[in-house]
Amino acid sequence: MGEEIFNAATGAIDIIAPEFALNPQPTIRAMLEQCPIANIPYTGWALLTRYEDVAWALRHPEIFSSEMGDFLQLGNVRPMIPQQIDPPLQVRFRKILDSQFTKKMVARIEPALREHARSLIAAIIEQGECEFDAAYAIPLPCKAFLEFMGLPVEEMELFLAMKNGVIRPDAPPIDMVRCTQLRAETGQQIYRYFEKLIDARSAAPREDLMTYLVQVELEGRRLTREEILDICYLFLLGGLDTVTATLGCNMAYLAEHPAHRRRLSRDPSCLEGAVEELLRWETPVTILPRVLKQDIELHGISMAAGQVVNIMISAADLDETEFPRSGEVDFDRERNRHLAFGLGPHRCLGSHLARIELRVGMEEWHRAIPDYAIKPGEIPRVSPGIREFQYLPLVWGKR
Amino acid sequence: MKLCLESGLCVGHGRCYELAPELFAADESGHALLRVAVVPPELESKARRAADNCPESAIGFE
Ligand code: HEM
Ligand code: SF4
Repeated sequence: MGEEIFNAATGAIDIIAPEFALNPQPTIRAMLEQCPIANIPYTGWALLTRYEDVAWALRHPEIFSSEMGDFLQLGNVRPMIPQQIDPPLQVRFRKILDSQFTKKMVARIEPALREHARSLIAAIIEQGECEFDAAYAIPLPCKAFLEFMGLPVEEMELFLAMKNGVIRPDAPPIDMVRCTQLRAETGQQIYRYFEKLIDARSAAPREDLMTYLVQVELEGRRLTREEILDICYLFLLGGLDTVTATLGCNMAYLAEHPAHRRRLSRDPSCLEGAVEELLRWETPVTILPRVLKQDIELHGISMAAGQVVNIMISAADLDETEFPRSGEVDFDRERNRHLAFGLGPHRCLGSHLARIELRVGMEEWHRAIPDYAIKPGEIPRVSPGIREFQYLPLVWGKR
Repeated sequence: MKLCLESGLCVGHGRCYELAPELFAADESGHALLRVAVVPPELESKARRAADNCPESAIGFE
């Protein structure tokens, strides 16, 4: 298992292999044992894998910068805020954004979210089967996010197309030229869309996050138009894709692990622990890119300033030194400092929003459909990078 | 048992006030605040749980 994906002699790991996206844990566990610093064969970029190294890197933005320069453009022409800027400026932006994404602020979406979950389930329960991504994992978080932002829910398809055009352009990942071109085209469309929205909220303010961005002051001045665009661009990418991916990963795992599934269905008190442990096990956002600001040496490997280093949080989350019995999925894990939402200054701004969506989404599904399986004879399809189960056919007994 | 919070390390993951709301609260940006200075004996295991689950290791004891 995993030999062809990971080459222990060279440390090369084929992170875009479909088998790896589908079932990464065995390969990652083999890699952790043999090789603290792996590399990506296409680019030669280094990949930090151990919990200790990963945590250290994420806590030291002055060494591991998020200012990517020309690397890894997601169709944007300026850095996305706050993800692609470093402290201290990044921290100043977080000061005005954090207050909008607290546990308390996100709690207000819960009733509508729950109702939406129930209506999505009601629409499919009698069929005894569904393709999970389209039926549940995509619409549930997307509607919640659009409502949270104050964006028009009827335009969900447009938002999804813009998000997909950037994250998964419609070309093979290896064809980098075509991918870059498609990303740039979609990027322009995103800027144009939000330009119009900024004008609309400036002219007619509402009680929503878009209006907040137009009105809020950063150290005594309003945000510039470009700053607002750079924030919205990131919200679109960060808020629409990640929860969808996590829901799919969770359900695929539970579909194949009946004891865990039964436990979650019978004992809702383990919901919180289950969500955290599945975040650890699946870590659907797998790799965070950084650029070195200085030369470093780690585990005998020298890395030069200017080089890209990838921080593999999905590997850190399986590291036995931090997580005893790391290969076991244990909803009652006493100590779970998983890095699925990152760490340090760039800790996921949307983590509280994501958690409420995951809890409500999982709870409502299991209340209505406690027992289900992957449709016999079918193989799910998972995208690399952000691991979205784009094809996840589930079946269950009709009641 | 005295509870310590290193505010400079806290980035607002919110694990502490989720797991031990008796001991921790959130400020308006979602960063942790201490509700008590000394942990009552019956809450000691909860306090340890919160400290163990803070990804930034911002919570300690004296
Ligand atoms: C389960 C779902 C989610 C996962 C696994 C996830 C994961 C992450 C990770 C790992 C980072 C750190 C990036 C880095 O250090 O370079 C991050 C940052 C971020 N996330 Fe999330 N995320 C999720 C949901 C969301 C949602 C719903 C939003 C809503 C807008 C969001 C918005 C952001 C933003 C704005 C940042 C940048 C923060 C900064 O750089 O200061 N995320 N996310
Ligand atoms: S768990 Fe740690 S980082 Fe998170 S809010 Fe509590 S003290 Fe802060």
